[in-house]
Amino acid sequence: MLLRGTLGVLLTLVIVAAFVPPIVSQPQSWYEFPLIPGLEEKARIIFFHVPTAWLSVMAFVTSMFYGIRYLRKRDMMDDLRSSSAAGLGLLFCILATVTGAIWAKFNWGSFWNWDPRETSIFVLLLIYGAYFSLRSAVEVEEKRATLSSVYSIIAAVTVPFFIFIMPRIMTGLHPGAKGDPDGAGPVIDFKMSLNMRVVFFASLIAFTLLFIWMFNLRVRAARLEYRHQLKG
Amino acid sequence: MEFLAEHQLYIVMIIVVGIWLGLFAYLFRLEGRIRKLEKETDRES
Amino acid sequence: MTSAERYSTRWVRATVAVFLKDWHSELRTRYAISALGMFVITTIAMILFSLGSEPASPEVLAGMLWVVLFFAAMSGLSRTFVMEEERGTAMTVQLQAPPSAVYFGKLLFNLVLGAGLTLLTVVLYALLIEGFVIRSTGLFVGIIALGSIGLASASTIIAAIIARANTKGTLYPVLSFPILLPLLMTVISGTRMASEGASWGDAVGEFQILISYIVVVTTTSYLLFEYIWKD
Repeated sequence: MLLRGTLGVLLTLVIVAAFVPPIVSQPQSWYEFPLIPGLEEKARIIFFHVPTAWLSVMAFVTSMFYGIRYLRKRDMMDDLRSSSAAGLGLLFCILATVTGAIWAKFNWGSFWNWDPRETSIFVLLLIYGAYFSLRSAVEVEEKRATLSSVYSIIAAVTVPFFIFIMPRIMTGLHPGAKGDPDGAGPVIDFKMSLNMRVVFFASLIAFTLLFIWMFNLRVRAARLEYRHQLKG
Repeated sequence: MEFLAEHQLYIVMIIVVGIWLGLFAYLFRLEGRIRKLEKETDRES
Repeated sequence: MTSAERYSTRWVRATVAVFLKDWHSELRTRYAISALGMFVITTIAMILFSLGSEPASPEVLAGMLWVVLFFAAMSGLSRTFVMEEERGTAMTVQLQAPPSAVYFGKLLFNLVLGAGLTLLTVVLYALLIEGFVIRSTGLFVGIIALGSIGLASASTIIAAIIARANTKGTLYPVLSFPILLPLLMTVISGTRMASEGASWGDAVGEFQILISYIVVVTTTSYLLFEYIWKD
């Protein structure tokens, strides 16, 4: 109950705190956000868009973690957890892609530009897509669990290469990338004022709590479904 | 009302808060239904 | 001879045996060789038709070379595992060789097949497609060689997965593409550099990425192969 209460209050506060502070060029008081040239009012996207991208990565790591645990212990519950995490990851990955594309249309002039971060999220989408195609292709449960666990581990060890590849072959458009030697990587370093930072991290915490809750619900529903199948 | 007409961004904020509270209530009820099903299933087995 | 030595000799023998078994069956049927060869020829013909008499930039042509190589690999490199499942010989191999020997035997076979495929593609591509100029040949050969090894190493483990998933070919490129993307992006940029006449020093980063990619993918595959191979 503590988790749900904290989440409900925290995310409501985050939404209010993301919209209410006026954006001015010379912030005078604690509740004003600084004006970032080129972003203006659109800067507020960071409080919602970045947490979705963060969750899609965290879900990927969670899915891999339970994949490894399945391979070690051969417990079907771990496979249910692994696939549930991947399902949520796919959802947040799509949300991050769509919200990012809408924002990019108004900031960079087109929905898609193959910016390093856009490429990274695209790769993540491809991996989730491949993961679920593989799962739907295998009928036998144990085999499905093993193969998809192995696939998620292999995907996870190749993804870090993008951190080294991106800066070499493309230049970044993303905020945080300008004049930053490693700004073209998939990870973002925003230059935020202190009050923005507080709202941003509160939002990250709130979205993480939301993920934990949704993950918990999904696993429980998947377990019920699994037990139902065993009986019928 | 006049305040809202002047600060239009707040209208959007109220809408987003509304959507979030709606989703929250939905998840909350979903959890209740899952809990009920869990009790039934675990009693049977 | 100590027992460890005896074990490693046996392991090498098993690996070579797995490789030779595939090699001989390939020589008998020539399935993969002919499929790959025809694939490369039709794709290059397709590119020639679509280019017509329009001149394409070396950058575009460097990328297209890897499009051909990727899809050609996807059409042939899964054969070695799918064959075992189709013929029902997987069980026999499981009993006779340790999983790691099977993996490295199959990897060796795919490396050879991949090398042949790359050689054929590059020669045909360079001969038939005008405007594909390579200014630094040494760099080009290095990038192509490492790219081909990387392609084979990632394709082998994905082939093992799809053979088990009994979906045959359809899922192969879908599963392989995200895994191969870091490699493909690096080799495309490397090939582009070679066609522009860059020196070895410019491409140090590319080589570091390629070599570590091959090491990481092969090690992970070796560690995970047992789980896929044994039921």
